[in-house]
Amino acid sequence: MNIVVLIKQTFDTEAKIAIKEGKIVADGVTQIINPYDEFALEEALRIKEKSGGDVLVVSAGGEKVKEALRSALAMGADRALLVETEGAAVDEGIVASALAKAISGLSYNLVLSGWKAIDDNSAQVGGRVAETLGLPQVNVVTQLTIEDGKALAVREVEGGTETVEVPLPALITAQRGLNEPRYPNMRGIMQAKKKELKVVTLSELGVSGAPQVAVKNVVLPPAKQAGKLFRDDVATSVAQLVQALRNEAKVI
Amino acid sequence: MSGLAQRELFWNVPLPLKGALYLSALLAFAVFAYGIYQHYQRWQVGKPEKRPGDLGRMLQEILLHRRLLQDKLPGLMHLGLFWGFLVLFVTTVVIAIQEYLRIPVFSGGGYKFFSLIADIGGMTVIIGVVIAFTRRYLSKAPGLDNRTDDGIALLLIMLIALTGYFTEAIRIAAVGETAPAFSPIGVAMAAFFKGMSDQGLRGAHQGIWAVHMLASMAMVAYIPYSKLIHMVTGPTNQYYANPQSAQTFPLIDLEAEDAESFGVSKIDEYTEKQLLDLDACTRCGRCQEQCPAHLTGKPLSPKKMTQDLKVVFEERLKAPKPLAAGEAAVEAAAADDAAEERPLIGGVIEEEAIWACTTCRACQEACPVYVEHIPKTLELRRNLVLMDSAFPPEVQTTFRNMENNGNPWGLGWSKRADWADGLDVPLMSDVEDPENVEYLFWVSCFGSFDERAKKISRSVVSILQAAGVRFAILGTEEKCCGDDARRIGNEYLFQMMAMENIEVLNGYGVKKIVTICPHCFNSLRHDYPQLGGNYEVVHHTELIASLLKAGRIAIDEKLKKKVTYHDSCYIGRYNRIFDEPRQILQAVGAELHEMPRHGTQSFCCGAGGGRMWMEETIGDRINITRSREALALQPEAIVVNCPNCLTMLTDGVKADGKLDEVAVLDIAELVAPALKR
Repeated sequence: MNIVVLIKQTFDTEAKIAIKEGKIVADGVTQIINPYDEFALEEALRIKEKSGGDVLVVSAGGEKVKEALRSALAMGADRALLVETEGAAVDEGIVASALAKAISGLSYNLVLSGWKAIDDNSAQVGGRVAETLGLPQVNVVTQLTIEDGKALAVREVEGGTETVEVPLPALITAQRGLNEPRYPNMRGIMQAKKKELKVVTLSELGVSGAPQVAVKNVVLPPAKQAGKLFRDDVATSVAQLVQALRNEAKVI
Repeated sequence: MSGLAQRELFWNVPLPLKGALYLSALLAFAVFAYGIYQHYQRWQVGKPEKRPGDLGRMLQEILLHRRLLQDKLPGLMHLGLFWGFLVLFVTTVVIAIQEYLRIPVFSGGGYKFFSLIADIGGMTVIIGVVIAFTRRYLSKAPGLDNRTDDGIALLLIMLIALTGYFTEAIRIAAVGETAPAFSPIGVAMAAFFKGMSDQGLRGAHQGIWAVHMLASMAMVAYIPYSKLIHMVTGPTNQYYANPQSAQTFPLIDLEAEDAESFGVSKIDEYTEKQLLDLDACTRCGRCQEQCPAHLTGKPLSPKKMTQDLKVVFEERLKAPKPLAAGEAAVEAAAADDAAEERPLIGGVIEEEAIWACTTCRACQEACPVYVEHIPKTLELRRNLVLMDSAFPPEVQTTFRNMENNGNPWGLGWSKRADWADGLDVPLMSDVEDPENVEYLFWVSCFGSFDERAKKISRSVVSILQAAGVRFAILGTEEKCCGDDARRIGNEYLFQMMAMENIEVLNGYGVKKIVTICPHCFNSLRHDYPQLGGNYEVVHHTELIASLLKAGRIAIDEKLKKKVTYHDSCYIGRYNRIFDEPRQILQAVGAELHEMPRHGTQSFCCGAGGGRMWMEETIGDRINITRSREALALQPEAIVVNCPNCLTMLTDGVKADGKLDEVAVLDIAELVAPALKR
């Protein structure tokens, strides 16, 4: 069973977001593996431990993404591949086609990724890669069984779950609840340094073209305002409150 | 001859009997020596370890029973047995000197002196045996478990003491005593034999003398094969004990290419001294009677763990597989192919026991023979964490949080200095002349992020400012010190964080550090030098006490409050800061009522050794056990010196619904509002 796991490096959930000239400042921000992708990786490792095979972890991004790939190798992935996009203008479509291109020539039975990344929440890449490669896909999966060349996936639907069966190879995107990702041990950390980490560029993959999506502006949510207290006697306070609700908050 | 106080040596002992004595003595000492040699060989199974010894400490423990007497009755029991036997042994040697070297040390004044002390010594031995017997078999003292050799040892000792008195009494009955005042017990007992014929006396004397001699030799021979080995291993262990044990742990070289495993998963991965520990343990149970985990019903007892390790150790010695070269003397008994080595973790020691330790060090403080429990437990944790990533699941989040944000809660690292907003606290990075900063204030994770503990930080700032101390903080450049990571067993994470901190600290040329957290304090002081971080580290209680003493701060209004003071493990037992906090309490006018367990015997709050980040699901809650001990004194405030203790005891008091009546406060929070400005 050869498994490809697509991961993205994202900001830590507690990172302080600062914006400069319409762009998010990444300096000094702690970067982690997108938690949903970690579920995907963990699932791949468990399948491998059960039925053998090879886990290749693939990501797109700049030099810093190598840290995320090394972490994935420390967790137990066998090889890593970085699609270098440093300096290139990319959107989800370009990233997805680059990833699809990068793995299209490989022999694999299963592609796993998180159902979305916690930074932009666009949930595009998994689906696009599956479409590009012509793979059946099951999204938002919380339980996965691989058997007899088929994948049996339980996915969340509104108000319940749905069990879907697809033939392999297929692409599955992971939702929270699929598993609890492991903590790498020393053996993993030491071996990760020696494992293969290949880099390919967009041009080597023959991926070009302008992004179809442009970010027009990025703004921080307005800072939370302090609450307003009405401290006069009850009658006056109520009158002031009603006025404020009507004129300032415009809710009544 | 008459007039000189003395007696005929070997009276009524015919030559064949004397010959039998020498023969049995020869045999007994040979058996003894072989047994000791075997023990020595056994320890070599462990990794070699060079340690300096401390003869003074060993002699103090042996002669004064410092630690044994921490527990009064059993301490006195042992004191009676030990000194009684020592006196009897010395008297025997004195007699031998007179007999063989013909030096008259056992006549005249010498005779009177040794006769008297031997008579008293025999009595203290008998009293000791009676106490021991009562504690073991009648009152069944907690902490004790009974094995065959416990009974045999007591019986042998009793037999030796009684037969000794009887031979003396019968001799006196038969031939009289030249200095009756100096053998009071022998003389009194002799009265019972008045009226027996001389022949009868001589016959009885010979028989009892033979039993006395045989019992004595049997005991010598028995020592290495029973709990009595502690006569040898105890002092040896006291000699080689590491006074800094558990303050820090051996640094692991994580880059070592040839390292196959980390920590300990097999008994022979312990050091020879750690294996000696197992032979020194006499199962007295003092450790478990102090252990917060054991006392609250967790599956951990330091005594049981030591004894369980010993079982594996003995199995390992019997294992058919060849031992390393030079250990041929350890006989691979009856090659039993089925005797597979049991795994230490899981097979012998429950994982839950390994995680239950708060590293409070009360066990090590209580152990009369200085067994070092915590370093052994830590090696098991290291193995679990580094090799198998096996730890209580909730800890994984803690590790991740430390990695990503440098604090156990995973709060954004960029907010680390927010507590100081508006307090005019200089950041090291803003200070123009870092070398003129007297103290770096190491705020700690709690002091930086925990809403309650931030008040300690603010109190310390106001004290430092009032005293005019030039200080600064690292702000967002400070990270978790790594104490918890290290004590949970995650050496990798510890080293990662410690090295980053050291780089920052050394970058600013920091020399003196003051911190409010005893865990940071201990780690910065004892762990960091291993990685090149050498600083003079003080705890805020030490600094406040010295500022008060120097008159740099003064108390304006005495607070007349009834308080109790909780010694944290890492400030107290680990670093012996007991007086300074009490001096501060006195200075602020607090009326201190001590809990039954305080000072070196203080009872842990339950947070140490990374327990702060683990669920406590088995047994009673340690923090509530401690807060109830404090509440029983009906104080107005429980004063602490550690943000972890503050959290744990506040929760404990809250659980009993007493938070409205009893405040839990850090000592700095008593000082800051009382300062003269």
